[in-house]
Amino acid sequence: MRIFHNLNVDFLGKRRFFYLLSLVLFLIGIINIASRGLVFGIDFKGGAEIVLQFEKQINIAQIRANVENIGLGNVEVRTFGGETGVLIRTEMQDIPADVYPKVVNNIEEDIKNIIPGVNFNEVERTNNSITYSFPNPDTTNLVIDQLGSLGFQTSKVSEELNNKQMNVRVAISDWIKINLKDKFKDNPFTVLKEDKVGPKVGEELKRDAVIAVLLSLVVILIYLGFRFKLVFAVAAVVALFHDVLITLGLYAALYGVIPGLNLDIDLTIVAAFLTLVGYSINDTVIVFDRVRENLKIHKTQSLYEIMNKSINQTMSRTIITSFTTLLAVFVLLLFGGDVLRAFAFTLLFGIVIGTYSSIFVASAFVLDYAERSKKKVQFS
Amino acid sequence: MKEFRFKIIIVLAAVALSIYLLYPTYQDYQNTKFLTAALDSKRNELKKEFPNLPKDKIEQMVTLTEDSIKVADPSIIDARKKRIKLGLDLQGGMRVVLEVNTAKLLEKIANNPDDVFKKVIADVQKEAAITDESVVDIMGREFQKRNIRLSRYYGTIRQDDSEIISELKKSSEDAVNRAMEIIRNRVDQYGVSEPSISRQGSRRIIVELPGVAKEEEAKQLLQGTALLEFRLVKDAEFTFPIMQRIDDVLAKRTKSGVIDSLDKDVTSTENIEKTDTTAANDTTKQLSEEEFKAQHPFFSAAVLNPQSSYADAYVSQEDKNKIEYWLTLPEVQKVIPDNVEFVFSAKPINSQDGKKIFVLYLVNKTPELTGGVITDAQANLDPNTSAPIVNMEMNSEGATEWARITGANVGKRLAIMLDGVVFTAPNIKGKIPGGRSQIEGSANLDEAKLLEIVLKAGALPAPVDVIEQRIVGPSLGQDSVSSGFNSALFGYLLVGLFMIIYYRQAGTIASLALVLVLLFILGVLAGFNATLTLPGIAGIVLTIGMAVDANVLIFERIREEMATGKTMRASVDSGFSRAYSAIIDSNITTFFTGVILYQFGTGPVQGFALTLMIGIATSLFGALVITKLMMDYLVAKGAKISIG
Repeated sequence: MRIFHNLNVDFLGKRRFFYLLSLVLFLIGIINIASRGLVFGIDFKGGAEIVLQFEKQINIAQIRANVENIGLGNVEVRTFGGETGVLIRTEMQDIPADVYPKVVNNIEEDIKNIIPGVNFNEVERTNNSITYSFPNPDTTNLVIDQLGSLGFQTSKVSEELNNKQMNVRVAISDWIKINLKDKFKDNPFTVLKEDKVGPKVGEELKRDAVIAVLLSLVVILIYLGFRFKLVFAVAAVVALFHDVLITLGLYAALYGVIPGLNLDIDLTIVAAFLTLVGYSINDTVIVFDRVRENLKIHKTQSLYEIMNKSINQTMSRTIITSFTTLLAVFVLLLFGGDVLRAFAFTLLFGIVIGTYSSIFVASAFVLDYAERSKKKVQFS
Repeated sequence: MKEFRFKIIIVLAAVALSIYLLYPTYQDYQNTKFLTAALDSKRNELKKEFPNLPKDKIEQMVTLTEDSIKVADPSIIDARKKRIKLGLDLQGGMRVVLEVNTAKLLEKIANNPDDVFKKVIADVQKEAAITDESVVDIMGREFQKRNIRLSRYYGTIRQDDSEIISELKKSSEDAVNRAMEIIRNRVDQYGVSEPSISRQGSRRIIVELPGVAKEEEAKQLLQGTALLEFRLVKDAEFTFPIMQRIDDVLAKRTKSGVIDSLDKDVTSTENIEKTDTTAANDTTKQLSEEEFKAQHPFFSAAVLNPQSSYADAYVSQEDKNKIEYWLTLPEVQKVIPDNVEFVFSAKPINSQDGKKIFVLYLVNKTPELTGGVITDAQANLDPNTSAPIVNMEMNSEGATEWARITGANVGKRLAIMLDGVVFTAPNIKGKIPGGRSQIEGSANLDEAKLLEIVLKAGALPAPVDVIEQRIVGPSLGQDSVSSGFNSALFGYLLVGLFMIIYYRQAGTIASLALVLVLLFILGVLAGFNATLTLPGIAGIVLTIGMAVDANVLIFERIREEMATGKTMRASVDSGFSRAYSAIIDSNITTFFTGVILYQFGTGPVQGFALTLMIGIATSLFGALVITKLMMDYLVAKGAKISIG
């Protein structure tokens, strides 16, 4: 079986059309980024995130209605994984001061139910925990145990045998759990994941991510400049910029459009973008490698002819290498679970646009540069 | 076929090595299945037998059973150490990023901080919140802006700013080390399996606690103030009778039919030589090991050295939980006087046969002195003997107390304890006036440095803030592992099928080589002790798609060569050699981005970068060595390989 066998198409003759196409895609992307913005995940923005797994199917709107008005400011609620998972995200990391006493009330009610009639005292409050003291160690252990099984995070204050004090965490997720527990009595849930990220980490990560992507472009520029010619390296990096920016634009355009696909930009997505940079250069290298070879063999032909010929000759392998990788990425998209879905989606789109750009952007750029500068490109 | 022998040997050796490296992972998987089942049945059994037992008591017993099973079969622990580690996102647990609050520390060590100082520190804190620049540098700049010399608050009047800044930098560096050591000490005592504590940047500490999902407990572990105490160690005349009484109580308990969960399971793995040296052995004549264990349960686990004048008991790591549990039993508590308690050493010593041995001390409950009085500690080499020593200084208040304590207890030992465990128990040689003391007996300079950190921990607690915290429940991890493996399997089937359809026999060869590539990736992961994360599995799936790229380039080239009328053999040869440059150039660039990603990323993302890099290296080996070998071999045998 063969595809594109003895292909002979004047790709470069149509490069004006492809420039225009790229420009349009690029502009669509930029406009979307400018108007809709990029949505950063908790890794970059900071905040708290909690993922719950219910036993039975849930009605997401019902949960949203329950969680939105409990004083946690901007709350985002959506499904996670299948139809029983729910992801709740807030921009705060610690529980607001006006909600704190409500959580404490709930904790104290529960303690009273566990040990009816026994006196206990509050010892200390911090902004995310509260400490109680009980009359004897056995009662303390009982409460720690029982309150813990009600879903609160409890611990002994010290490991001493006569420890009479207990710490209870007072966090955003506790308040969410309290509110959902009563409403969904017949559909109990467990906590799958709980993240809390300070705002500072996010700022640094954003900077580091940009540096990492730029650094990888520079390294590619240097390596290809060394292996080919500078103009080839510049063309490849221009094509990569093109790929990354158009993919980012797609992120802005499709955010929230496809159900079940979470396009928040988080660390894994940055990894996907870097992989995209590393992988989409492969197709470019395949074409350039052939151009280099043909330039050495056919010294008399024009660059235009040679490049066209090289693109035609390598078309089948460019397509097939991308296709096999797409197969793997497609499997990830389908079976990789919620966490990897956006990762796979980025690569899926990125590989397609990367293959396109290595043919229609990178090669065309080299040709136009050579024609304009009237320099002869040759390899010894 | 001689020409292929060398290459065949290399490939077979790589396969054998990978299988060897992966075997512990398989073993560990089987062990875990067995352990979970055994412990679950134990838990249910206990719940049925003692319905009123609180949860933590049951868990304690279950842990004991687990320990005893592990002791009985050391290969369980061995396999666990050598398996492919799973990241927190796959096995569940907690990851916390802490930051040492240097600004608060600087405020604490300033001389007479006034309102101006407080304002500057507030500004510094604001600025420090958005950069990773050294807080000391920021403060230096702020003071310079205001034309205030640093000597107004730090050091002596004669020092210039740069000198003070380098001193302050050293103390803030110390603070991070101290915080790390305190956390490590606590995490060790807490008993998390395979914790990881690492440093990131200038003042951050990343703590990973697999299996821990309770934030409240972790916070206790990571943020509580460290307690440094000096407590007197009881002498042998006092300690030995108490140990004997404990031994009696435990022996009676065994006889009366109360069997600790673990005695049922422990097989005779106790070291015979060890029991022979037991002091108690003198009184018990020659007993078989089993009998000795039954009659002297305590002394068979806590071994005394008859040659030593101290009653320090040596407890192997496996027995530590058991001893701790025994010591909490009410009947045992009854025979231990109220004013003393048993405590363990912080770090184990390695015995000759490679076992980790902890030391059990009997110390006073009330400390003679607590760490707040220490002003400085310095690890050094003694100029005369070049033995490692630690010099310690105290404030005047502490020095007076210290003189009284050391004077009254000459010849006794004083345990230096941090958070309830003993770091060292030096002998008091004589009364120490003035508070300047020298502690000898560290085995090497590293140990002395650790003691220095410990001594400073009580004096200058380094405040740490939690800046990031992630908890992954165990069930999410399980789901992720299975979806990851399904993806890898389907990915392989699809790509392999495509290759076979498109390139026929050559494609079949490539698909076979791909299996080996996957085996190598896992083997390398196990060999490097690397951690597999969910994005790491994604990296493996991606590698499946990318690994055949090199094969595609080669096969396309072979087709081209054949089209020019070359023979099969010549086409294969030039196909490989001409595709070489494109393969190398494209893979090296991808590899570079992997390296950058590894540098930039943390946790799961690093796992992805790692599998990506390993994947590129092994898939090159797969295409350029294994596929080539198989094709060359077939061609040399005269077989015609169909290439579609």
